[in-house]
Parts: sequence; C-alpha cells; structure tokens
Amino acid sequence: MFDTEREISDTRINLCLDCGKCTVVCPVAQHDPDFNPRLIAQRRLGQNRNIPQDDTIWSCISCYMCTERCNYRVRFPEFIHALRFEALEEGAQLQCTHGGALQAVMHMMARGDLHQDRLGWLPQDVELAEQCDTIFFVGCAPYFDVLFSDLGVDTLDGVKGALRLLNRAHIPFNILANERCCGRDLLLQGDREGFLALARANMEEFARHGVGKIITNCPECHYTLKVDYPKILGSTGIEVVHLTEVIAPLLRSGELRLGMLEKRATYHDPCTLGRCSRIFDEPRQILAAVAGLELVEMEQNREKALCCGASPWVHCGAVNRQIQGQRLAQAGATKADVMVTACPKCQIHLKCAQKSGDGKTTQVEIQDLASVAARSLD
Amino acid sequence: MSKSEANVVVFACNWDGLSSVEAVAQAGLSYPASVKVVRVSCLSRLHQGLILKAFELGADGVMLLGCEPGKCQFDTDPALITQECEKARKLMRLLGLKEERLVLTHVPRGDGSHFVGRVTSFIAEIGQMRSAVPGGA
Repeated sequence: MFDTEREISDTRINLCLDCGKCTVVCPVAQHDPDFNPRLIAQRRLGQNRNIPQDDTIWSCISCYMCTERCNYRVRFPEFIHALRFEALEEGAQLQCTHGGALQAVMHMMARGDLHQDRLGWLPQDVELAEQCDTIFFVGCAPYFDVLFSDLGVDTLDGVKGALRLLNRAHIPFNILANERCCGRDLLLQGDREGFLALARANMEEFARHGVGKIITNCPECHYTLKVDYPKILGSTGIEVVHLTEVIAPLLRSGELRLGMLEKRATYHDPCTLGRCSRIFDEPRQILAAVAGLELVEMEQNREKALCCGASPWVHCGAVNRQIQGQRLAQAGATKADVMVTACPKCQIHLKCAQKSGDGKTTQVEIQDLASVAARSLD
Repeated sequence: MSKSEANVVVFACNWDGLSSVEAVAQAGLSYPASVKVVRVSCLSRLHQGLILKAFELGADGVMLLGCEPGKCQFDTDPALITQECEKARKLMRLLGLKEERLVLTHVPRGDGSHFVGRVTSFIAEIGQMRSAVPGGA
C-alpha cells in the first residue's frame, strides 16, 4: 500500500534546486542550526545511501512554511513523513511526548471491539438529527481535555460552540458515538500501520451509518478526512467541510447573524487550515461578523503565519518552546484581549508554553474560533 | 498461561511496594504467573502514559503498588500519583474500559501475604468483569 519511493517522488523533491529558501523561512531552522531542510533533501537524494540515519528528520513541525516559499512547491513535510516511515521501519525509536499517552490512546482507539463512552459532555440543548447522513466529527477533544487538564485547556468548548452554531443555522447533523481519532498524528510521525487501522475503523463506522457528509471543527481532522483518506484508501465518496466553510457563507448571505462581543482579537491561522487547506478568509469573516469585536492581525499572518510550534506528539523540546514564545509575543504586540485559533492543538501547545514558560511568556487569553462566535450568541 | 487468568501489570515502588512482592517467596507463598511486576523508583515516577501503555500492550488490569500514606521514602506528595491515576481512569472511561481495571494499592513494608491477597482478589474481580461483558472487560 505504501510505495515510499513513489511517495517521495510525488512530493516533487526531485525538483529541488538546492536554493535553500525552505531553510531560510523554516521556523525550526531559525532556532536549531542542526535542522536544515535543504541538507536533509541533499543527504537523502544523494548517491551515497550508506550514510547513518538522519536524526534531524524528527524536528520538522509540518508547518508547510517551506512549501509556501518553494518555487517548485515541493511538499517537504510529506517528504519528511516518508523518511520517518523509513526510519521507523529500520528500527528508529520515537521520542514520544507526554509519556506516550497520546500514542497509547490512538492505538487503543484502533481496536475493533472498541465501545467508547465519549459523549458525556454533550450539552442537552444541542439538537442532533439521528437519521441524518451529515455528521459532525468531534475529533479527540474529549481526550485532550483529560490529557491536558493541568494546562487548563477546554477544547470541548470549541466543539460545543460549533454545535450551537450549526443548530442556530438550522443545519441538521448527527454525531457518531464510536468515531475514532482521524490518525493524522500517527501519519505524521511515520506510523503508517497505526494510521491505517484508525482510518479503516472510521471508514467502517461511516459506512455503517451511511455517512455522506462530514463537518469538522478540527483542521487536522478536516485535512486528513478530506485529503489523506482518499489518497491512501481510495475514494471515500464523502464530502468533508470545515465548520468555517459552512458558517461564513451563511453570514455573508445574512441567513445567520452573530451577536455582540466587545473584544480586541487576533486570529492565529492554524497551519493545517491555512497553508494546507487554504482557508484564510472564512475564519476572519466569522470574527468580523461578531459585533463589537475588533480584529487585529499579527505581524505574521495568513500564508506567512507562524506555527504554534506543534509536533505530532513526538520530539518536542526547546526549539518548539522558542517558536511558541515567538508566536505568543506576536499576539502580545497586537494588544489583543484574546488570541483566537481554530485548532485544538494550537490551543494546547500555546497554553503549554504559557504555563511552563520562564515567566516572560505572553499571557494572552487563547480561545477557539467557534467558542468565540457561539459566545456572541448568548 | 490459562485463558482464565487475567494479565496484570503491577507497578511496584522500589520501597514498601517491591519489598512486599519480594517477601512473597520468603513467606513460602506465590502469586499467579500472569502477574508481571515492574519496579519503579517511586509511584510518582508513573504517569498516565505508562499506565495506558500497559493496557495498550494487552494488560487486563494494572495495579499501582506503593508505600502507605506518610511513608514515602522521597516525601513525595501522594497527590501526584492520585492525580495521574484519576486522569488515566477518565481516559479509560472514554475508551470504554472499566476504570476498576486500574487500582492504587498501599501495602505495609515486607507484607507478602497482603500483596498476594490483594493481587489474587484483583484478578478475581477482573475475571468477573470479563464474564459480565462478553469479549472482555
């Protein structure tokens, strides 16, 4: 199923001119002189294949900043994912963050005899349409809120906000009680087997419920279900849309109106929603539709937005922390009351930096886009 | 190993926990072979990741075996492991696993029979959960 050489060639890496623009814009390379995307490509594509395993491949944060800058649009992060797969096949060991808890949860979720009890948080006032072929894909938010409870993250607040917005917009949807993690983090860290197990379990669940359309709030679930599932499993026949793509047109046409929220806010583009899925305008349109909300941009925004310093739950260290500090400082410089993001993982990583920083980290409030929009309705 | 015996991973702290496991043989007692003991310096070394990893690798139950309250060699606040244990239980609940499959036990130093009694009753409890739910607890 996985032909690594073909996959590597599909990333267009063979077109690399060795110009080094990727390395100039790479946020990791800025802080870590050992990480050099240009040299990683050079080493792997060179004639001498008997070189030792490249340990720097684990530092890439898959932010796609390099792809944005590359004249040939080489998909370098995907090249890295293929190299990680190769490295794991050759016996490399992952340095899992958070004690490997996320990997353990993801692997256990792939089991066939799984009967999750994951909807205890569902507010009673949210209306579900049980026979509907459109589902809202919740993602791992129920798990995140337990795993990162000491950071004070509330990613389910974003999910609840998304459900309230859909209800207000009279868009019917159902929720699956036994959906799995989409598997993106396993795919990014090179664990293809783990990803496939989750993807197949999800596809079986979708088929059993006759799912025709999926709405997600998490940009990673959105991209994985929309792009990676068809690419790896073949056509799924399911339409996948992000919440912002559903809500923003309704706001434009006047079919949905948001309320009032007097805040100065800045929007942090999640890499997967922005550079990967090219959704830059819709989240801003939603924020602009909130009366009283003043939207200010950070120094790096849209295509050039700085990553939250995320990793697929592996190899997180001082460099990631420096990137997070830099991003939070950019938010602080806007004098915004709230930093709005559309990704639960951005929220987790930035709050982690705020909590464990040296006391100088910008302590701006961080909230999910759907939470902010739904709060304006109250 | 017979199918009826539950796989139990015991994370034993290096002090009172492990001493009670070692005292089992000295007292001429034994515990089932399906019990695997992993020594850790203190239960505060454990976190939700390690506990879940045991379940991921096929454990039917996990027992955290530590010193009695107030007797920790490192004067560590027991709230640490209680908090990790609680987080692991919440995740287990989400995953549809019975949270009773994770127990936090404190034993007196060198009390082998106490440990044997506790671990055999834990195995029996898991056995009951398994028979109540077809296909495993």
